[in-house]
Amino acid sequence: MTELLQNLIDGLGRGSIYALLALGVAVIFGVMHLLNFAHGEMITVSGYAAYWAFQQGWSWWIVVPLILVVSVLTSLAIDQVAFRRVRGADDFTLLLTSFGVHFVVFSLFLLYVSASVKNFSRPGWVTDTYKVGSLRIEVFDTVVIGVTIITLLLVSLLLQRTMFGLALRAAAADFDTARLMGVRSDNVIRGAFGLSGLLAGIAGVFWLMRAGQTTPSAGLDPMLKGVLAALIGGLGSLRGAVLGGLALGMAEVLLRSRLPDSIAGLTEGVVFLLIALLFIFRPGGFVSVAHAERV
Amino acid sequence: MKSRPLLILLMALSLIAAACGSSDDASSDADSGASTESDTGSDSGGDDDAMEEGAHSGLDIDAILATDLANCVAAPSGDPIRVGMAMDFSDVVGFVDIPGSNLVPFVAEKINCNGGINGQPVEVRVAEVGDDAALAAQELLDWGAHFLIGPPFADFALPILQTTEGKVPLFVAASTEPTLADATINSFLVTFDDFGMAGAAAQWAIDEGITRAIVFTEGEGVPYTGVNPDAFIAKFEELGGEIVSVQSYVWAADTDFSAQVNEIAGLSENNEVVFSAALAFQVTALRGQLEGQGLDGLTYIGTDAMDATGIQVEDNNEGIAHTPHTSISAGDRIDTLLAEYEAAKGEALESRGFMALYVDSAFLGIQGILDCGCTDTEGIGAAVSAISGFEGLSGTITYAGTNGIPPKDVPINRITNGEDVLAATIGG
Repeated sequence: MTELLQNLIDGLGRGSIYALLALGVAVIFGVMHLLNFAHGEMITVSGYAAYWAFQQGWSWWIVVPLILVVSVLTSLAIDQVAFRRVRGADDFTLLLTSFGVHFVVFSLFLLYVSASVKNFSRPGWVTDTYKVGSLRIEVFDTVVIGVTIITLLLVSLLLQRTMFGLALRAAAADFDTARLMGVRSDNVIRGAFGLSGLLAGIAGVFWLMRAGQTTPSAGLDPMLKGVLAALIGGLGSLRGAVLGGLALGMAEVLLRSRLPDSIAGLTEGVVFLLIALLFIFRPGGFVSVAHAERV
Repeated sequence: MKSRPLLILLMALSLIAAACGSSDDASSDADSGASTESDTGSDSGGDDDAMEEGAHSGLDIDAILATDLANCVAAPSGDPIRVGMAMDFSDVVGFVDIPGSNLVPFVAEKINCNGGINGQPVEVRVAEVGDDAALAAQELLDWGAHFLIGPPFADFALPILQTTEGKVPLFVAASTEPTLADATINSFLVTFDDFGMAGAAAQWAIDEGITRAIVFTEGEGVPYTGVNPDAFIAKFEELGGEIVSVQSYVWAADTDFSAQVNEIAGLSENNEVVFSAALAFQVTALRGQLEGQGLDGLTYIGTDAMDATGIQVEDNNEGIAHTPHTSISAGDRIDTLLAEYEAAKGEALESRGFMALYVDSAFLGIQGILDCGCTDTEGIGAAVSAISGFEGLSGTITYAGTNGIPPKDVPINRITNGEDVLAATIGG
């Protein structure tokens, strides 16, 4: 029982980061029907910004806001440079564009920065733990879970209580009608990219703190986790994205811990098998968008 | 909007920049860096050609390395020796193949500055494998490469071998993949293989008096990430050690080891050696999490991947051991060469511990040409297979009597007082 609880807490920490990533993916999908495979590039660019900052001798106190700012700016730049050109195009074109952005950013860092791992310091407290009964809880997981809860509350307030949130939800429900009602579509989309970039930035802070390094493909893994979690939760659903992220994190930790040693290497494979089974029984993910409020 | 033209320009520059990375450019850059192209009719695929008059059977590496590029002798004018480099510039191994493909042309410059090899200039051509290693290899063969230096992993090295049909010597410079070595098809490792590397790590741990081990693997038999742990386990148990726990992880990705650490905490006596083929940042992340659980008495040893991914500059790296290909010390031959490169080209090469392997690959191929006195690639391959006691920058290399894996000593480096220093050498 203790081990199960320990796994659930560990999974919650991991899943919280996935939830933040999935939220960013869901926000963009909600307004543009774009499954953004360039979502991880915010973390790639932020990672190199962090590396540069550490080279200047800066501390995490400065690097954290830097990561957030760079992530938002990168997201807005990607929209401006790439996606703005294909507004209104079919979903497939948008998908290909997002792949293109991913490969261009990846190649630029690979060719013009370095193919090597760029290391930087992790904060000392990342691996600290404290005990609650027989449970050992990482300070890092506690911070991640806390920040995620606060972020979700703020995003929820933003969407429910502000004009921007109203416009975003209206655009997600019916983009053309929202435009006819006076919603400025470009502003809404730009805002969605900004919000998505901020969410990626918050997730990126934790991802980079844990990793202590960056590479040209640093954004690939977080992008895959975010997209996967968004799919599991139900594309376009905010609640679904959060649920999907938490479920994915917990599934990974539980399976790695519970699978027999002889097949423990198949953890990732079993996770995908479970996802496949989920889609057989619930093709729309946890929260079917057809019956739920989108974004 | 005012920003639009700027963004369009940035996008255009991005696309141009991406296009600049094509294999054609890589090739031309390397050519210009190494020597001037000449059409003197070198024939790599034909019959044996007699070497030029006055050829000697050795290769004076020290003289080449000592060459001052500012004071060259008369340019060599004989038929060129052509070194083809089919290199993987992706993020998977670009961190070794990119600097390696910069250093070899620089060495060729030195050779040519020194009068060439018996009056023959050395030309180097780099072809990026992209997603088609066979095409890159064919380009190099069409160019007339006498031997090839290839990327370390099988997914690209095997298509190259299929293209050469095993008739052109291939040095998989940075590879420890045992299945890539096969002297009968002229495919050679330049360093120890996974079994030599992980076996040496096990030997070192036992020599340190550690008899319990925790091993991280991607799965039994998985190339590199599973084979190294397999080899470690086999050797460690053979030497009387006990494997306490085998944990799975995702190579180059996992940094959250919560599940594994909780399990280890229940098994560990805080005196084990932790072995994996993980990257440096993964090992230090794992260590931090284990220490967070109070396990601060563990010893960590890893493979050449740690060297390649910067264990020297990681936080919390004190005491971590690894198996580099070359234990570089200040002022030694490879250190001097790398310093000269930096001074000449204005940038330091990364993955320093691997660089000697690329230079040795070029020297071994040239040695094969000298030994056979021919330019026929199969003849060169046969001569390379017979090389014995070659004193390269990365150590002594012998292919005679092997299947293409040189029995080399394995250096064990350990971070001691913040410095990456040689802690032991395990005989190959």
